[in-house]
Amino acid sequence: MALIIDPAKDEIRALKNAVDWRGKRVLEVGCGDGRLTLRLASLGPSKIEAVESDAELIHTARKNLPEHYSKQIHYRVGNAEQLKYPDNTFDVVVFAWVL
Amino acid sequence: MVHALYEAHRVLKPTGVLLDLRPTATHRRVGLGKGVSWQSVGVMRERFDDDRAADHAVAQVLGNGLYKRQRQTRFDLDRVMDTMEDFRTWLNEFVQLGNLASHESLIKRVEAAKNKQRAQTKITVRGPLKLGVMKKIEKL
Repeated sequence: MALIIDPAKDEIRALKNAVDWRGKRVLEVGCGDGRLTLRLASLGPSKIEAVESDAELIHTARKNLPEHYSKQIHYRVGNAEQLKYPDNTFDVVVFAWVL
Repeated sequence: MVHALYEAHRVLKPTGVLLDLRPTATHRRVGLGKGVSWQSVGVMRERFDDDRAADHAVAQVLGNGLYKRQRQTRFDLDRVMDTMEDFRTWLNEFVQLGNLASHESLIKRVEAAKNKQRAQTKITVRGPLKLGVMKKIEKL
């Protein structure tokens, strides 16, 4: 299916203006197939931990991860209500269509 | 939902920020063309129970002093599709996931409008998103 989401890039523009992403540790909850994750990576965070409860979507996200983002982005199957990270780990948490 | 907001609070650094990105409780509009040339053809009929529950959860954690809202912005998000088949596939999946009533009349209306346009005219579903920016407050 030919589907382009947000060709005008309004979504990433709004996110870019929300915080300074450079060098930040980011947690994206509800990353899906990684569509938004790749756009967030372009804003310059040092690390993105991207979590999604659907293992199939994480498989797709890993498959579509470009080599040049492989050290910056880490995909993981996980649950928004039970995050497997220590306290005080992230500068930014993104709830992407999760609530 | 509230528990997820508490979890986010736990893993955020003391100066951390939570971004809450999601659709507003507004029916999406379907039209032809894209960008500024987009013209509305019809409106989807959605359910907003989850959106209202999410708003309630956010209000609860703000009230509990976990976060301070810094700002909220709103903008349109477009989904652009090439063909009626693409639109039908996307809409049927959306209807099924959201347990919504049939949108067959909307499909027919879009199809009729598209038949009057050039073959390459795109079908665009436009819906507003909101982005909430909330700063973590350290609990004493």
